[in-house]
Amino acid sequence: MSIERATGDELERPSADSGNVAEKRGGSTRFFNPRRIDIYLQIAFLIAVFAIWECSAIYFGTDFWTSRPSAIAQELVNWANSGLLWTDLKLTLMEAGIGFVIGSALGGLVGFVLGWIRRLGDFFEPFILSIYTLPKIALAPLFVLWFGIGAINKIMFSAMLVFFMVFFTTFQGTRQVDRELVENARLLGASNFGIWTKIAIPYSAVWVFTGIRIGLPYSLIGAIVGEFVAAEAGVGFRIKESTAFFNTAGVFAGLIVLMAISLVLLGALKLIERRALRWQVHNSMDGVVP
Amino acid sequence: MPDAAQRSRDRTAPMIEFKGTRVRFGSLDAIGPVSLSVKRGEFLAVIGPSGCGKSTLLNLVAGTLKPAGGEVLYRGAPVDGVNREIGYITQKNHCLPWRTVEGNIRLPLEFRGYPNGEIASRVTSVLQQVGLAGFEKSYPRQLSGGMLQRVSIARTLAYAPDTYLMDEPFGSLDAQLRLRMHEEIMRLWHQTGSTFVFVTHDLHEAITLADRVVVISRRPGRIKLVVDIDLPRPRDVIDLQSDPRFGAYFKQLWDALDVH
Repeated sequence: MSIERATGDELERPSADSGNVAEKRGGSTRFFNPRRIDIYLQIAFLIAVFAIWECSAIYFGTDFWTSRPSAIAQELVNWANSGLLWTDLKLTLMEAGIGFVIGSALGGLVGFVLGWIRRLGDFFEPFILSIYTLPKIALAPLFVLWFGIGAINKIMFSAMLVFFMVFFTTFQGTRQVDRELVENARLLGASNFGIWTKIAIPYSAVWVFTGIRIGLPYSLIGAIVGEFVAAEAGVGFRIKESTAFFNTAGVFAGLIVLMAISLVLLGALKLIERRALRWQVHNSMDGVVP
Repeated sequence: MPDAAQRSRDRTAPMIEFKGTRVRFGSLDAIGPVSLSVKRGEFLAVIGPSGCGKSTLLNLVAGTLKPAGGEVLYRGAPVDGVNREIGYITQKNHCLPWRTVEGNIRLPLEFRGYPNGEIASRVTSVLQQVGLAGFEKSYPRQLSGGMLQRVSIARTLAYAPDTYLMDEPFGSLDAQLRLRMHEEIMRLWHQTGSTFVFVTHDLHEAITLADRVVVISRRPGRIKLVVDIDLPRPRDVIDLQSDPRFGAYFKQLWDALDVH
């Protein structure tokens, strides 16, 4: 009854542990393997940059414009000790986080609906395109008018930026769907409901995720720009306030906090992606057979 | 598997009938008129120059295309809308990249509302049949073209359609793999007793597989020649090539194709 089993050469196995192979081949001792050396070099580079920054600031007396690592570190400690660092951080993260969730959900939903319902998408396309090129950041003052200078303003602004990123990606990605895939599903017995649940939604989910990946940094941009324009607290507000007092170290301290937030967000995103898009995780690693 | 007597009795009733069928794309006459009847349980191959409308004939049976004139009957009734009693396998495998091999094979069964237990047992059985056991959890990206084509076949096999429409399914495979797939297809045909309509531009493929080969002319596609392939079954894809009758059929079909 059974037909001969496929041979192994037909299957490309993902070489997920190519790193280990390199490790075994590459070095006699663990200490000198190439990947480790890269990490040491990166750390050394970072230290060198800080050292040059520190020395040149002292030597050339450019403290006022460039500040220097030791002053920035001191500023961070002061900021933390005053308790303001945590409240600022919490506020900015809250604004960006809620904005991100609202923007992603709405952007994904609207992009999905307009992307799949062809007539609706065609109708709205010119309007969508006209908004596409508009620098959305220019709307910030309007948001102050609408939502005041509190957290709501930043949440809405951040949500708006994320919405457009997720919406455009989902809309355009979904419209590219291979119509043959849908037709084939009908031949396989799919009802309209089956097409939506088993083809359309999973297909668009990929694009929603792509949109979310692009949109995530925009949630932070939204919160920070909102705080720049008008605010009473938050990391963005603190940066602006430091600038007003010519406190360069304070500005850099704010930037470093933002960098730390970005790294955390990026890590979270990678974790989510690895779970949700398991089927394409090995993308870059396996030889894709057409 | 129906026995031989059963099969020969069934063969008297036509499964698919084209009656003066014509297809037009805009102002262009693509097909017709074509009149042809495909017997139940028959293996029919359709050959012809590219662009002659071979695939269009399959689309008519699948119901994804309506004839401009004449009729297309499936089991005696006109095809109306998408025909869910057929299995359609093309060069593109249409596997969903986000589903595993198993998930892809489950798809038509889920669409058709089979109970979960039934789905599981059918999936296991067809995976065995096409030699994919052990690859249930692989994603399409991890498989080669030949494996994906097997998934596509398994997926169709799972809901056991009465008719398999195949549109150059092995067009993208290399020669050796093709031969093996030919063996597998013939075995499937024997096992299922289903009707096969197989479109190809490869004469070897057509003669090897089919009971009957239909040659379609250049556009507008009409039936130019119908040849009964009177080679004994079961056929061996390799031995067949050295059979003198194989050569004679090849010559006859080649001349009818009029490639020059």
